[in-house]
Amino acid sequence: MLKFIVRRVLLMIPTLFIISALVYFIIDLPPGDCVTSQVDELLARGDADALQRADELRQLYGLNEPLWQRYFEWVGGIFRWDFGLSCQDTVPVADLIGERMALTLIMESTTIAFIWIASFIIGVYAATHQYRMGDYVASFIGFVGLSVPNFLLALVLLYVGKVYFGLSIGGLMDPEYIDKPFSWGKFVSVAEHLIIPVIVIGMSGTAGMIRRLRANLLDELQKQYVVTGRAKGLPPLRLLIKYPLRHAINPFVADIGGLLPDVISGSVIVSVVLSLPTTGPMLLGALKTQDVNLAATFLLFVAVLTVIGMLISDLALAALDPRIRFGATSEK
Amino acid sequence: MSSADLRYPRETLWADYLRAAAGVVLCGAPLLLLEVNPWLAAILAAGFVLFTLFLARTALRHRTRYVLGPDTLCADGPAGTLVEWGRLDRLKLSYFSTKRDRSDGWMQLSVGSTGGRQVKVDSSLDGFHDIVERAARAAEAGGVGLSEATRANLRSMGISVAGQEELA
Repeated sequence: MLKFIVRRVLLMIPTLFIISALVYFIIDLPPGDCVTSQVDELLARGDADALQRADELRQLYGLNEPLWQRYFEWVGGIFRWDFGLSCQDTVPVADLIGERMALTLIMESTTIAFIWIASFIIGVYAATHQYRMGDYVASFIGFVGLSVPNFLLALVLLYVGKVYFGLSIGGLMDPEYIDKPFSWGKFVSVAEHLIIPVIVIGMSGTAGMIRRLRANLLDELQKQYVVTGRAKGLPPLRLLIKYPLRHAINPFVADIGGLLPDVISGSVIVSVVLSLPTTGPMLLGALKTQDVNLAATFLLFVAVLTVIGMLISDLALAALDPRIRFGATSEK
Repeated sequence: MSSADLRYPRETLWADYLRAAAGVVLCGAPLLLLEVNPWLAAILAAGFVLFTLFLARTALRHRTRYVLGPDTLCADGPAGTLVEWGRLDRLKLSYFSTKRDRSDGWMQLSVGSTGGRQVKVDSSLDGFHDIVERAARAAEAGGVGLSEATRANLRSMGISVAGQEELA
C-alpha cells in the first residue's frame, strides 16, 4: 500500500504542474489583456491619459514581461501563498479569495456530504424495495435530478420561495453579516442559507449516484450467493451489509473522485443565479476580463481538489477491493 | 523440497530508489530553499516523511533476502522475521494499480503466523509465484479463511484454494 500511495502522490506533482501551466497559458491566449477593457472604459469616458494609464497598469501587473516569466513568478509565489495581483481593484489575489474560498469549501463539502448520505440511503432503499412506492419516488427524484439543469432548478426555487413563501433565497448569509467578522450568528445564518444551494447543486450528483447504486445492488441481490445466504437463514440486514452491499459500493466509491470537479463546475452558474458569494461568480468575471492570476489561482484550486478527490477514491477502492480485473496483467 | 534464496531484482529496487529520491527532493527542496506558507509547509513536510519512509523501506528490501523453505518463509535482513507454514493464520493477496483501467499493476502478498509475525512481499520479487503457491497450500491445509479478493487474485495466478470464505 505504501508503494501505491507513493506512486500516486508522485504522479500528482507533475500532473498539477502541467495543469497549472496549461491553465495559465490558455487564459492568456485570447488577444488583449486585463488592462484592455479598463482602457476601453477610460477612452469611452474621454480620458486623455488613458494610454499612459494603460502603460502604468501593464507595468504594475507585470504584463510587459514574457508569459513564461510571469508564470514562474506566479508558481513561485504559490509557496508563499502569494498569487500575484488581481486586475480587479489591484488587490492581491490572496486577499480577494480569502473568505470566498472558505465559503466555497464549506458549501462544496456540505454538498458532497449531502450527495453521499442522501444517495446511499435512497439508493439502498430503492434497491431493497424494488417496484414499491419508495422505489418509484426515488426513481422519479433520480430522473428529475438528471434531466433538470441545476440553474433552472435554482430559478424555480427562487421564484417559488419569493412568490409563495415570501423568502429571499439568494445569498449565503443575511445582509447584516456581509463583510463582518465570523461569529455564531453568522455561522447560523450561513447554515440556514446553505440548504437550498446544497440541494440545487447536489441534485444531479445525488440522482446519478442513486441510479448507479440501485442498479449495482439489484444486480448483486439477484446472484446465487445471496439466495444461498437467505436459504441458510442469514438475517436480511446482515446478509445485505456483509455481501451484496460491499460489491455494489465499489462503483459508488470510484465515483467520489469525479464528484468533486462536477460539483465545483456545476456550482459556478448556480452561484451566479443565486447570488452566492463563492468563487464561482468571481471566476467567471476573471475569465471574462482575462485576469490571469485570479482565474489561474481558482482553476489551480479546482485541479488540486480534483486530484485529491481522485486519490481518495483510488485509495478507498484499493483498500475496499484489491482485486485484479480480467484482462489486467500483473508484474511477474 | 529444498530452500530457495529470493531477492528483489536490482532494476525494481533502483526504480523505487529513484521514486523515493524524486519525492524527497520535490517535497524537501521548497522547504529548504523557499519561504513557504505554514500550511503548505505542513503538506510538504507530510510528503517528505512519506517519501523518506518509502526510501527506508526500499533500503530495507535491498538488504533483505527471502528464504522459501518447506516449513518456513524467512525474511533475512535488518528487520528479519519468519513465518511458519504449519502455523499460518492469515494470508492476503492484494492487487494494486495506478492506472484507472487497473492494467499493469502489481500484487502484494501478506502472510502471518501465530505470534504476530508477518512477511509482506511484492510480485516483483523473484520467485513470487512459488511463495504464493506455497502459502496457498498452507492456508488450505490449515483452514485459513481467505477474502473474496484474495481468492480472485489467486485464481488469476492459476491457483485455486478450497475452503470457506473469510468471515470478517
